[in-house]
Amino acid sequence: MSDEMRSSGVAQTGPSSGRTWNVDGDAPDPAVPALEVDDLTVAYREQPVLWDVDLRIPQGSLTAIVGPNGAGKTTLIRAILGLVPRAAGRVRILGSVLEEVRRQVAYVPQRGSVDWDFPTSVEDVVLMGTYGHLGWFRRPGQREREAVGRALERVEMTAFARRQISELSGGQQQRVFLARALVQEARVHFLDEPFQGVDARTEQSIVEVLHELRDRGDTVVAVHHSLQTVPDYFDRVVLLNVRLIAAGPVTSVFTDDNLRTAYGGRIPYLSPTSSPPPPPSSPPDSRSRVEG
Amino acid sequence: MDGGFIPALFTDHTLRVVGLGAGAVGALAGSLGCFALLRRQSLLGDAVSHAALPGIALAFLLTGSRATPVLVLGAAVAGWLGTLLVMAVIRHSRIPEDSALGILLSVFFGVGLVLLTFLQRGPTAAQAGLDTFLFGQAATLLVQDVILVLSVGTVALLLLALSWKEVKLLSFDREFGRVQGIEMGRVDVLLTSLLVVAIVLGLQTVGVVLMSALVVAPAAAARQWTDSLGRMVVLAGALGAGAGVGGAWVSTLGDGIPTGPAIVLLASTVVAVSILAAPRRGILWDRIRRRRVHSRIRRGDLVPPGAGQTAAQAPSGGSIPMASPGAHGGGRED
Repeated sequence: MSDEMRSSGVAQTGPSSGRTWNVDGDAPDPAVPALEVDDLTVAYREQPVLWDVDLRIPQGSLTAIVGPNGAGKTTLIRAILGLVPRAAGRVRILGSVLEEVRRQVAYVPQRGSVDWDFPTSVEDVVLMGTYGHLGWFRRPGQREREAVGRALERVEMTAFARRQISELSGGQQQRVFLARALVQEARVHFLDEPFQGVDARTEQSIVEVLHELRDRGDTVVAVHHSLQTVPDYFDRVVLLNVRLIAAGPVTSVFTDDNLRTAYGGRIPYLSPTSSPPPPPSSPPDSRSRVEG
Repeated sequence: MDGGFIPALFTDHTLRVVGLGAGAVGALAGSLGCFALLRRQSLLGDAVSHAALPGIALAFLLTGSRATPVLVLGAAVAGWLGTLLVMAVIRHSRIPEDSALGILLSVFFGVGLVLLTFLQRGPTAAQAGLDTFLFGQAATLLVQDVILVLSVGTVALLLLALSWKEVKLLSFDREFGRVQGIEMGRVDVLLTSLLVVAIVLGLQTVGVVLMSALVVAPAAAARQWTDSLGRMVVLAGALGAGAGVGGAWVSTLGDGIPTGPAIVLLASTVVAVSILAAPRRGILWDRIRRRRVHSRIRRGDLVPPGAGQTAAQAPSGGSIPMASPGAHGGGRED
């Protein structure tokens, strides 16, 4: 329903679209929102974790989900992806229910959600991103291996392809997960704390990849922890604290007032739990005031 | 068959049959056990095998037959019911997984023991054979039992090979599979069923009490030697087969030596050696490595991270933003 559109983002993907299995023939109508959430409520043991959330995110945008601990950020993504049951509500991705567009949806879970001592290599983990389009019984072949090679190159992990995954640092693990999502060749990408526990340079490179995705018309939605970097990295922001506080372009929504409402009066600019110190160049309030 | 009972047990033919059966049981349990180990479900094997005991007794009570396929079927049904019950308890109650498994294991095992004791008081001599299911007696394997183990085991391993990537994904990152639309619930049912089959087929040889050790031990040993899932599964299968054959042979040496303990003792020895001596993951290896680093530091010839490693970090070297020195933590020593 949202008529809000990024004029630059929807431009055709151009020569570098490089999709191997999700070919562009079925490109969605750019006017359809990438994500529509209506009246979404999630509860654990009668305790609401998300309450009546409504959300519209246009295609070709880069959105941060922000809010205090326990605000339901991760739960929002997991409910959208059908990983936690919804008590109520409706979710549409590219205008369809999840089951119909699964191959257009990529997911980067939190790094800590798997056992990194599992006996497998970097290459094999990334290859898992091709399983969805292969289907049961079919084995990955040349085409899939090449796609894995490209994805590893994009996150600059080519040299680690054969490495056992337990030998990776946190930032490398995060890049492996990002490559695994890239290889899905989706149009809508959900990331749960992609910058958690990575060093500043890895963070910059991940941001670059996300910007590339956005620039070719994909939609990226990421749970994010560091308020300082929101205006630098993202175009849109979703402020969440069990209920939806505000959502929209960073310039109009990322205001002190909204932040105060989301964080209960105290804006933790200086105490984000899991992010490196912000680059000194961009004090956040100078940006968030722009439209005010 | 030819000649008396007892001499036949010690002819080569029998040993071959028994060895083949026990080896197949070990290979099957060892390879499938890898997934139980990696998914931290080792106790599930214990629950399945203990839950199978009342199934064996009931199958005999209902049919009056001591034929292996009948008893194995009873064991499989009971083992499956036990597994479903555990999963239901875990899902619908707040009892933690290990407690649920522990409780169920003892309940089923208790019921099984009561039924066995009851049966043993009965008139038919044939019933006495049932208690070999407690500790296993490979010598009781008949040719047709071995054929059963081999054929069902082959099908099980074939299914595992066909679903390899799904099973791997299930074990590593189930939710990622779900998001891709792969029906992880079905994969789970398949893998768990294969494990139940492997355990149930091994009960006659290894016994309900120790069967879970044959599921876990070869897998734990194999994990020490390799970082590849494929190689781990093959190696665990081989170690399991070796323990099976060896244990069966040991048990034929003396009258009435139960096979289960012999197999498990062999498998545990392999585990102990692997934990100590395996390269990279072994305890001794760790000691040696630490000592070497110490002496290199004292000699002053340990290169600080970054100095000799740029080539390994990124293909084009130079100022690539992702190849941050801090991210590699010194890399690994090759």
